[in-house]
Amino acid sequence: MAVDERGLELDTVSTELRRRALRLFGRSLHIRTVDSGSCAVCESEIRLLAAPHYDLHRLGFFFTPAPRHADLLMVTGPAVRAADNLLLKAYDATPDPKAVIAVGACALGGVYPEDSLVHGAIDRVLPVDVFVPGCPPSPLALLQGLLVAVGRLEERVGALSLDLDAGSAG
Amino acid sequence: MAFWFYRGVRKGIATTRYPSTVDPWARGLPSAPGFHAARLTIPLVDRLVGECPAGALTREDQELVVDLGRCTGCGRCLELGTGAVRSTGEFLLATSDRAALIKRVPIRGDREASGGG
Amino acid sequence: MTHAIGALAIAASAGWLAAAGVALLGGTRRVGLGACAVLSGAGGVAAVVCGVLLAVHGAGTTLHLGAGPVGAATFRIAPLAAPFILLLGLVAVAIALYGPRYHEPGRGTAMYLAVYNLALLASLAVLSAGNVVAFLVAWESMALLCYLLILRHHERPGVAEGAFLFIALSEIGFLMIVLAFAILATQTGTLDLAGIAARASRVGAGWRSAAYVLALCGFGFKAGLVPFHIWLPAAHPVAPADGSAFLSGLVIKLGVYGIALFGFVLVPGGPAWWGLVTMGFGAISAVLGILYALMERDLKRFLAYSSIENIGIIVTALGAGMTFTAYGQRAIGVFLLIVALYHTVNHGTYKTLLFLEAGVIEHTSGTRDLDRLGGLIRRLPRTAVICLIGTVAIAALPPLNGFVSEWMLFQGLFQGFRISSHLVGILIVIAGALIALTGGLAINAFARAYGIPFLGMPRSGQAANAGETRQPVAGPALLAGACVFLGIGAPLVLTALDRVARATTGLDIRSELLVPKLTVIPAHTDFSGFSPTYLALFLLAITAVPILIFLAGRPRARSRRPPVWDGGILEFKPRMQYTATTHANPVRVTFEPLYRPSVHVERASDDPAGRSGPVHYRFQVTPIFDRYLYRPVIRLVRALANLARPIQSGDVNLYLFYVFVVVLIAYAVYASN
Repeated sequence: MAVDERGLELDTVSTELRRRALRLFGRSLHIRTVDSGSCAVCESEIRLLAAPHYDLHRLGFFFTPAPRHADLLMVTGPAVRAADNLLLKAYDATPDPKAVIAVGACALGGVYPEDSLVHGAIDRVLPVDVFVPGCPPSPLALLQGLLVAVGRLEERVGALSLDLDAGSAG
Repeated sequence: MAFWFYRGVRKGIATTRYPSTVDPWARGLPSAPGFHAARLTIPLVDRLVGECPAGALTREDQELVVDLGRCTGCGRCLELGTGAVRSTGEFLLATSDRAALIKRVPIRGDREASGGG
Repeated sequence: MTHAIGALAIAASAGWLAAAGVALLGGTRRVGLGACAVLSGAGGVAAVVCGVLLAVHGAGTTLHLGAGPVGAATFRIAPLAAPFILLLGLVAVAIALYGPRYHEPGRGTAMYLAVYNLALLASLAVLSAGNVVAFLVAWESMALLCYLLILRHHERPGVAEGAFLFIALSEIGFLMIVLAFAILATQTGTLDLAGIAARASRVGAGWRSAAYVLALCGFGFKAGLVPFHIWLPAAHPVAPADGSAFLSGLVIKLGVYGIALFGFVLVPGGPAWWGLVTMGFGAISAVLGILYALMERDLKRFLAYSSIENIGIIVTALGAGMTFTAYGQRAIGVFLLIVALYHTVNHGTYKTLLFLEAGVIEHTSGTRDLDRLGGLIRRLPRTAVICLIGTVAIAALPPLNGFVSEWMLFQGLFQGFRISSHLVGILIVIAGALIALTGGLAINAFARAYGIPFLGMPRSGQAANAGETRQPVAGPALLAGACVFLGIGAPLVLTALDRVARATTGLDIRSELLVPKLTVIPAHTDFSGFSPTYLALFLLAITAVPILIFLAGRPRARSRRPPVWDGGILEFKPRMQYTATTHANPVRVTFEPLYRPSVHVERASDDPAGRSGPVHYRFQVTPIFDRYLYRPVIRLVRALANLARPIQSGDVNLYLFYVFVVVLIAYAVYASN
């Protein structure tokens, strides 16, 4: 089996095929949250997803405690080096096809730079499929991330421009 | 038991209708900052870059590079760059391409101030 | 045929006598050990065949030995002894196979083996005793020989106390047995057991009850009924493994034999309260036995308490049988007698197996403490398999022998509604409920006793280094095979036991015990029934179903095999596992009023958690019978002895005064004639 530069075994199917497989899970996706050293506020928002107001179950998503039953890993935190073992074991224990969502500014490289204690971003440790920015991301943003992961929603940020004068200037 | 039933019926369904509609109160959530390129100057941009605690803002020559992935929505750039920086109200930023979160805004304030169209 | 039975018994005795001699002479060399084992095993085989023939043939044989001061010693092998003789032979063969690889040659071993073989001989003598003298002499010899057996490693801690408790309580029981026999012998005017049985109806009801109660208590001491049991957990663990196996597998069954002898042969047909009292003793022994077993960390003490539990089950069956017979339900009564005999053989088989394997475990990993063992299934694979068979049997799981005999017991007990007295019927069903409780607790206990040492990771370095290379396997394997045979071949075994019961009680229930197609029914066709043989075949067949599903539904693509998900910890440590103590925690908490534990917690300091240094937790079950029954009696005896001490003051003048007084009295008595 092919191995990438982190030493992780690559999926035997290509990314596109994996996305298609994940689309099959779109109505019944099992999520396992992994904390790689976050401040746990992202976890609070994730926890709200199961509450009646946001209710991710109506969209076909479910939380599971066992990576063996998971289709998707929702990872928070800046990938503290002490959590390497945990991240790799959880990733290894999840059966294919699987996806990884990195949640929060810490996981995407903000807040903590890479140093001797911290990798700084999840994608330095695991292959990440969807990035959800925010600090913490609102549960609505989390839902959007999940729906993007299974291909039920289109991404919006690609078309977003932060230049408010873009229309007026040349 | 009956009390809770009537209360629930009166209040109606509390669940959000996302993804078909976004809740109206979500307008007030912390969101990505937007920049008026015409009002950005290099000194201002440098100050903004120094103030951002998450390292989301950097300046590359004549461009302000905003990494939305690193933005924590703290609002310091909004406070500092009054007039030049405004909240866009965009908080649904999930993507599968990390590079799509890195946005560039040209710094045009100097040029316009120093004259010329 | 009867001659063959007698000849075989004599052959067995000769074999064991010869084995004892060979052990004494040659036990200091390995050759001697081997020869002793061969002779002992040959004697065992002879005993097995004798037992089988006796059961099948259903009639005994008589042998008179020379005259002694109290008359001739008669040996009569009665059918009731057949299952016990069979068990004796089987245990002897298994231990003979086990011995050479377990013992080291030497003087201690030589003496030990000599004593052991003589104990086998004495047990056979007890089982074949035909008159009171022979019985009592054989009984006491057997007790003394077992005492010497326990003292094999007398220099080790706990051995002397255990042996002392054994012999002390054995003597108290012996006193009661002598009294019981004395009552019967004087009331019937004969010392011969068959003669007593024939004239039993002439003995007054009060004398018969006294004799039975004395016999129940006296033999109860040997059998290990609660509250006469306190010697068992002290003595059985400290003997060598095969000695413990012999004690638990056979010697306590001699107590059961004694109770059955009195209840069904010598003074049969007693009133219902005999049976109820017996059943009460049995049920309480069963529950308390297993409850105390669950609190034990020492593997052999655990097995000793489990023996108490099973003896309770056997005695419950005997008592219930007597009760049913007293109320006219003779078929169920005989059925329960058969159950008692069957469970005796079964328990002897698997308990011997477990004690022998406990010896192997202790030898290879250096400890008997469950909390220091673990992972032995990888280090001792053959031992693990054999032990599993024994554990499944003793936990009464289908299709092995323990399940069949306990099922039969329940079916017998639950027919209490057939008794005319509602109260008695309810009491019998309550006994059934208590036995059901012990059954459930026994499964818990044996899951713990098998799972903690064999599964998981080794909890100590000793356990991690165990190796199976020169350990005995043949003896336990034979017993494991016997367990399987006794379970699946139950119809055969029950046919033989039915003949035994018919010879003993005069009632043949074969047609109400076994119907065609190998089905066992509890004395009434409309109640229930099942076939152990077909059950075993069914279980084998049904295990094919998941295998077929797996083979058919396996994914075609290659599967990835990552390690077991452990929560992401760095490394599994043995100390993260369940210990034996924690496994039994739910039971401990539930039954705390019964255990009345004393708990001591010591901290090195009062710093907050994490910095306070080691914490010592000590938990001890209160020994209720020791403290509240035996100690007061001992204190009373001591007080009385102190009162009587002035009589033996050591003063010669006082002694001369005694002599003077006695001479005066004698003169007065003879002068008045």
